[in-house]
Amino acid sequence: MRIIKFNKKIYRPEAIKQAINDFKNLANFKLKENSDYIEIKINKIDQDYKDILKDEFANYALGLMS
Amino acid sequence: MNKINNNFKFEFDKKIQQIEFKINSKIYPLTTIYQATYLFLDKVYVFLDGQPEKEIKAFFKLKEHVNKEQLENLVGQFYNELLNQVLREKISQANDKIREYIVSQALYSAVPSEVDELLKEVEDDWQKDPLGIAQPWQEKKQAAKKSKKSSKKVKSKK
Repeated sequence: MRIIKFNKKIYRPEAIKQAINDFKNLANFKLKENSDYIEIKINKIDQDYKDILKDEFANYALGLMS
Repeated sequence: MNKINNNFKFEFDKKIQQIEFKINSKIYPLTTIYQATYLFLDKVYVFLDGQPEKEIKAFFKLKEHVNKEQLENLVGQFYNELLNQVLREKISQANDKIREYIVSQALYSAVPSEVDELLKEVEDDWQKDPLGIAQPWQEKKQAAKKSKKSSKKVKSKK
């Protein structure tokens, strides 16, 4: 399992949710939100993308912010 | 952690091939950091954290192995791009009103006005010439003569 914590002051929750929706075929995502961070737990990652999915997901979310 | 810290503020973790920048967000606003990092998404994996009011931490995880020179180039390019984006934003703010004016003028002129429609109607009517105003007077006279002659001939035959 991989965990990413996105700072809510930097990453918009809508962008994260959009990214999850776009990546949903490659892994299972669980979203947990507190006042400062959005925590994403990534499970059952597609074997082909196991090494890069977490980083690609973060890049994609950042891309949605621009 | 393997630190390289010459002219630019950054730290490099050789083990995980990750660069960490600490960016003063009073000098480089968050929007400029978004734009600058966006241009590096094809070369590195980017993750942002920190406090947007004070300092942003940018983590660049390299997609490919690089040597020291390439690493310093990358860092330099990123700082250049940050500066570039700050300048772009300042120019954009300075030209905000004139840009709005130009766009509104362009949109306004693209919409056909009532005056344009009336003018078009007038132009169409003029081309039809229902009263025959555009016809030269000689042609009118000749036509009238011909019609008189033809009517006389008809009468004489009768």
